[in-house]
Amino acid sequence: MNTDFIADRIETFVRTQFEVSPVDDGFGRSVDLFELGYVDSVGFAELLAFFSEEFDVDVPESDLLSEEFLSIDGMALIVSRLSVDQREGIASIR
Amino acid sequence: MTNLSVCGPLDPNFAWDGNRLYRDADFAPGLELPSGLRGAAAAVRPGVGGTWRVIRDPLGINKLFWAREPDGSVAVAARPRRLIDLGHPLERISAIPRGCVVDLEPAVDEPVQRLIVPASWSSRGDAGRLSLEAAGQRLRSTLDGYLAAVATAHPRAKVFVCLSGGLDSSSIAAVARRHLADIVGVSFDLRRRPGRSSEDRLTAQRLADDFGMPLLEATVTEEELFHHLDTVLVEGADWRDFNVHAALVNAAMAAAIREAAPNGEVLVLTGDLANEFLVDYHTESYNRHVYYQLPRLPPVALRASLVQGLDTCHREVGVFAAWDLHVVQPYAVAADSYLALPEDVLVLENRKELLCRAAVGELLPEYVFTRPKVRAQVGSVEIGGGVLAACVDRGFDGRWLRRRFAELHDVTDLAVLDRFIRAGRYRSSVPSLIGRAA
Repeated sequence: MNTDFIADRIETFVRTQFEVSPVDDGFGRSVDLFELGYVDSVGFAELLAFFSEEFDVDVPESDLLSEEFLSIDGMALIVSRLSVDQREGIASIR
Repeated sequence: MTNLSVCGPLDPNFAWDGNRLYRDADFAPGLELPSGLRGAAAAVRPGVGGTWRVIRDPLGINKLFWAREPDGSVAVAARPRRLIDLGHPLERISAIPRGCVVDLEPAVDEPVQRLIVPASWSSRGDAGRLSLEAAGQRLRSTLDGYLAAVATAHPRAKVFVCLSGGLDSSSIAAVARRHLADIVGVSFDLRRRPGRSSEDRLTAQRLADDFGMPLLEATVTEEELFHHLDTVLVEGADWRDFNVHAALVNAAMAAAIREAAPNGEVLVLTGDLANEFLVDYHTESYNRHVYYQLPRLPPVALRASLVQGLDTCHREVGVFAAWDLHVVQPYAVAADSYLALPEDVLVLENRKELLCRAAVGELLPEYVFTRPKVRAQVGSVEIGGGVLAACVDRGFDGRWLRRRFAELHDVTDLAVLDRFIRAGRYRSSVPSLIGRAA
């Protein structure tokens, strides 16, 4: 899955789910969503469910707690990698 | 020199394989993988030649944390604070992942890590579809078998059951008294002016009376309650308000139990976990603020999120352990029955009542099924606020609890906490025995 496409989908979800104003200049794909208050701990649980539903990936704790997971760009990279890993995992089981 | 050390006592094992309780010796390296393990377990067992097996149960009820010692060896403890006492900062402490069996060998770089969390437990898993009637029957059978085994394994233990008068704890009390002798109920309440009792207390008194069960009344002032705050933050290994408030209630009951039974083994049965399994939580409002926010998810996904969140919730086992009391959570071993309930059941307003009627209907008086639900943390309009209101009124809100937790764990940068717990999970990883000296 293309990382830009994933980032697009995540950004749309975050903007909608967490009611980010369209004129919010501080918001962007590289900002720390947690530190800037766009997403809280409860919101992270919603993001995880979105990744599971939308991209069919489960995010392991090692990625969940990584610095990368704090921004949309970082999340997109993680989801892109996991979608390959978990698809190959399923294929090898079959 | 040993390559792994355990710092302080671990949380006790009350795990079950569907037929018998696991013993600590069952977790030794080289033995069969405990794939069917349900309920609370945490073990760190040595084998021959410097090997170790480390286990944490699938729900993550029991906690295990680790850190790398300066000489490269591994230190393991049931609470992060114990590792901090050894000189490890919180940012270098990780949890052992829940539902994980780790086999460690000296001079082997990669530990062998195997998961014992059933795939069917995830929101995407196929847990099967049980009707409420079938789930209730399975739940009853599991509770009967499990509590009979607990009674056999702990014949001399003094047994208490937390009794809120709600369906979860009442059901546990009803089944437990069939298997365990001389059970004492325990009821929490805040001491109120002018001495009015909560609805929870009144129902607990009535039920204990109907069961012919003595009732230990843990009635505390707000000052007495807050005396336990630091203990709750350290032993509960969490700062989030819902868990802290529930843990304070447990701490008050634990202190009362230990005073009533100062010596010997004590088991405390609780009705915890059913709310996670049945998605029976909602937000609460107090003074125009909303507390206990939940992720906005459909029921099955929310259930999966709540169940995953048990990884970071030690409000029961951890808090009672501070008084050397061993918690038994019978619903933990019945997780499969609950998690096989489909979405159309989870949206039913009276799902818990229907399930409990199917499981223990003939054992409980009707008033337990029909009384309105009241949380001890919340209280009620008639008799005043509960622990939530008491905490908020004193300024012990979410931010204060977070700061206090940080202080108690020698953390100055609060962002460290956000990298320790996120989305209801601890930062976790598995150690190897080829540690690079720090």
